[in-house]
Amino acid sequence: MQPFTYTMPRTVAEAIAAFRQAGPDASYIAGGTSLYDVMKLDIVRPRHLIDVSAIEGLDAIETGRDQLRFGALARMSAVATDKTLLRDYPVLAESLWKAASQQLRNMATVGGNLLQRTRCLYFRNGTGNPSSVGLYPCNKREPGSGCAAIGGLDRGQAVLGQSDACTAVSPGDWPVALTAMDATVELAGPDGSRAMPIAELYRLPGDTPHLEFMLQPGEIITAIIVPKTPAGRRSTYHKIRDRESYAFALASAAVALDMDGDHVRRAHVALGGVGTRPWRARAAEQLLVGQRLTPESALTAGRAALEGARAGKHNGFKVDLGARTVADALMIAAERSA
Amino acid sequence: MPAAPFAERARFDARDKVLGRTQFTADIQLPDMLYAMSVPATIAKGRVRSVAIDEAMKIPGVVRVLTAKDFLAPIPPPRGATGMAAAPAVPTIVPDIAYRGAPVALVLAESIEAAVQGAEAIQATYAPSASFSPLITSEGAAREPSEPVKAGNAAEAMARAATIVEAEYECPAQHHNPIETLSTTAVWSGGRLTIYEATQGAQVVKANAAKSLALDPAIIDVKSSYIGGGFGQKGTAQRQTALVARAAMLTGRPVKLVMPRGQVFHNATFRPLSRHKIRIGADASGKMVAIEYDADHQQSRGGQFPPQYHESQPQMYGVADYDGTTANVRIDTQAPGYMRAPHPHPASFAFEGVVDELAYKLGKDPVAFRLAHDAKVDPVSGHPLSSRFLNECIAQGAERFGWSRRSQAPGSMVLADGTQVGFGVACGAYPAITSANIARLRVSADGSTRFAVSAHEMGQGIRTVIAQALLRQLDIDPAKLDLQIGDTSLVPQHLTAGSWGTASVLPAIDAVAAKMKAAIEELLAGRQIDGNLHRKLATVRRPYIEVEVSTLAPGQEERALLGLRAAGYALAGPEYPAFTTFSYIAHFAEVHVEPRTRRVRVPRVVSIADCGRVVSLRTAVSQVRGGVVWAIGSALREETEVDPRFGGWLNNDLADYVVPVNADIGDIDVSFIDRPDPLLNATGSKGLGEVAMVGAAGAVANAIYHATGRRLRRMPIRIEHLL
Ligand SMILES: Cc1cc2nc3c(=O)[nH]c(=O)nc-3n(C[C@H](O)[C@H](O)[C@H](O)COP(=O)(O)OP(=O)(O)OC[C@H]3O[C@@H](n4cnc5c(N)ncnc54)[C@H](O)[C@@H]3O)c2cc1C
Repeated sequence: MQPFTYTMPRTVAEAIAAFRQAGPDASYIAGGTSLYDVMKLDIVRPRHLIDVSAIEGLDAIETGRDQLRFGALARMSAVATDKTLLRDYPVLAESLWKAASQQLRNMATVGGNLLQRTRCLYFRNGTGNPSSVGLYPCNKREPGSGCAAIGGLDRGQAVLGQSDACTAVSPGDWPVALTAMDATVELAGPDGSRAMPIAELYRLPGDTPHLEFMLQPGEIITAIIVPKTPAGRRSTYHKIRDRESYAFALASAAVALDMDGDHVRRAHVALGGVGTRPWRARAAEQLLVGQRLTPESALTAGRAALEGARAGKHNGFKVDLGARTVADALMIAAERSA
Repeated sequence: MPAAPFAERARFDARDKVLGRTQFTADIQLPDMLYAMSVPATIAKGRVRSVAIDEAMKIPGVVRVLTAKDFLAPIPPPRGATGMAAAPAVPTIVPDIAYRGAPVALVLAESIEAAVQGAEAIQATYAPSASFSPLITSEGAAREPSEPVKAGNAAEAMARAATIVEAEYECPAQHHNPIETLSTTAVWSGGRLTIYEATQGAQVVKANAAKSLALDPAIIDVKSSYIGGGFGQKGTAQRQTALVARAAMLTGRPVKLVMPRGQVFHNATFRPLSRHKIRIGADASGKMVAIEYDADHQQSRGGQFPPQYHESQPQMYGVADYDGTTANVRIDTQAPGYMRAPHPHPASFAFEGVVDELAYKLGKDPVAFRLAHDAKVDPVSGHPLSSRFLNECIAQGAERFGWSRRSQAPGSMVLADGTQVGFGVACGAYPAITSANIARLRVSADGSTRFAVSAHEMGQGIRTVIAQALLRQLDIDPAKLDLQIGDTSLVPQHLTAGSWGTASVLPAIDAVAAKMKAAIEELLAGRQIDGNLHRKLATVRRPYIEVEVSTLAPGQEERALLGLRAAGYALAGPEYPAFTTFSYIAHFAEVHVEPRTRRVRVPRVVSIADCGRVVSLRTAVSQVRGGVVWAIGSALREETEVDPRFGGWLNNDLADYVVPVNADIGDIDVSFIDRPDPLLNATGSKGLGEVAMVGAAGAVANAIYHATGRRLRRMPIRIEHLL
């Protein structure tokens, strides 16, 4: 870790101005739970930290209007325990509650969560510094150096969306739930404000895996908007992992169902743990429309969600597990009352 | 006469720990102290060509960088030395890199931040070896047979067997991961070197650091007051000790290193990968009559951790004919070592799996099958077993667990939602070893008591045990009882491991208490004085009485004390001159395997142990719970992985070396037979900490077989193996 300057602006405009002044080696920081981690591992080396966590009014949780609105600085723990969400949009609350640990959720923000870095072992433990020890090529860390995960210990790697340059999984749970629920991200930047569907925030690795997010330099996430839908009540975030808490997903599914009796009127399905970005499963959604939901039709939809999956050496099980996770999630959601 | 049962007592140090007052080695702060950071080698094997320190020295706060040229050649172990005293010096910073992560430099700075930044700025160049052998299956892995263990004639007995099962099991490399990582603080002052280290073997550290630094051990004191978890990782000499000590000597300032976990994975000892090929034969009546068992494990090029996987297995089921072979497979890694239940844990996972396979093949209930194999003698030495209540453990466990609700056929117990339920049993044994001990007790008129004895506190509760036994014998004030352990400047310290702490301290307490009582009686010369010992001393105006004793294990010779003084090593057992002593345990596990995603849950475990007389129920229960939790981790989660293209450990952090969390652990119901061993010591106490874990992983795996019909012979058993 190298020394850095640290400023704490009070408004969005001040933060953007500070970023512009500091230049390309600047980084915003909110809860710090992801950024400090990758700094200590010597993966990123910002020279100027602009701490946005003191900006006022950016941590509101609004559920009373015609859409759900989460200020970027709202804590994961606050959103995870919001009573309205727990009742009307369990998929959102559960995706946060099943992530990280209580201590981390108390620190971490729902905005910072969208931009957390991958848990790929070769990415994380590969700079050779005193903490990481390993020294591995990684196109995401050092463009053009190669990908050690390909042909390596790839049990945790993606089966959807990977390229010849990178197979790293998009790690977050919350972004998967937001993807399923058609969320939009509000941004403010040097060139003004804009809104972007969350599906457009994440890039596929292609041959530029070091570019992960469709943000312009200096852009701040100010809020996350989720349209209201009756499907929210019949929703769940189902997360399968190597232990029951404090672990990232091997496979996860965010689903929400609009049902007509035992038939599906509309389905929202997205997957985590298996893709290089939060993975919307449109094919599975379409397959479900008009169907009677049974364990069999749920599994058929699950298989459709993993269509096009390609496995490496040790992660073939994720294709099957992903399908089963979607199927389980659909059955869990369907049992909830609308 | 064996001791009566002990009453339960709160942990001696509970209050201080809860209030955060307890000082662990990693907490130490000394005036004028320098912070150190080690720089790991980034090649798997080869030689350091150069280490450029200029950039590091430019960083504000960096004071000095030590490299290979700052270290002296180590001195070889004394001729004729045995045990730990014969161990070669742990390397310091040397140009030869035997494994990824070995230290190539030590940066000293005024702050931890500067030390880390300095370490990142060190530029080392290497001449990597043309090839290296990272796995036991790699080219260049060198197989080397080691000590066999034989009883009777297994080949002959096998030839007569009516039923034979044979299977090969594998246990992965695993790391201890105590919360407190490796940590050393050293002070060089007035011609003495004081080393504060999180170690289970203060005397071991003293002896080894002397060799590494070419110093007279007489000028070294090692202090280890509280250890934030040891589990065997902190039993042998550690790589960083001499580095930090040398830094203190060269700078004249206290130096502290807390090694980052990623480096601990690479520099600490670990549980090596082991393979277990086992054949068991049974006669026509279904009685086990012959065992052939070939075991090998991963070993470093110069490592000494022996592959003694036949430590406990011959003792399990009274089989007279046993043929066990062992081998090291030497590859390019750091030295493996002792990790909780070092050999019996992996061996029992394999052995109890094969016993289960045999029971099924014979159509027998696995509990009844084990109960039919009680034993009275040690087949290897021919000695009688001083105490063995394994069948009592199995019978009580089956009762508490509700084993009778089980139906034998695999996959036959299914919940309404399709979840498969499995019941599994497995057993374990662990040698009851005893160390010689030296103790000094001072009772003062001012109400205080100081008791210095050989033992280390790594959370297992040895202080509680000591207080429990001492306070039962002597009327002294518990509030002013100072237990001085893990300090070589007071009395020699045995390596505290292998479950011998309690059985080794109790005789010393008996002896020291008897001597104290005699001294007081003599002092009072027949006068009757009311009140506790302090009151008695105060009344006769004697400031204090101090007594010292040394004790030996059964049959041990006086010269064992030399080994204790030299290197903390003075062990006897489990074969004593006329008897053999083991501790035993039976574990019962229930697993649930989910119908679609195939997650394995372990809602409950029942464990019944025979560790002789239980001295401290509270810490004993906690030991068994901890052992079971770890076994569940081992069975289902833990594995340290090597990418053979690079060497070293890939998942070298707590996020990716997956240990269980609370949500993975259900009910663990622990109880004890609590019957004293008649021969081992006056209290009748055997050992517990290690046996606690033995067999529990096997119980989980056997339950998974019962639930699913899948016999999974490699740990960890993960979701992908059950899809
Ligand atoms: C041990 C551990 C376990 C975890 N387990 C899980 C898990 O199971 N599931 C899961 O989903 N997550 C998990 N996480 C990740 C955790 O959720 C994220 O670290 C957290 O959400 C990040 O939020 P933060 O506010 O701390 O972000 P920071 O660390 O402050 O920032 C992260 C990134 O976002 C940028 N940033 C932050 N706020 C803004 C903003 N408003 N506008 C623009 N850029 C911004 C920063 O520049 C930085 O690049 C885990 C983390 C740890 C350390």
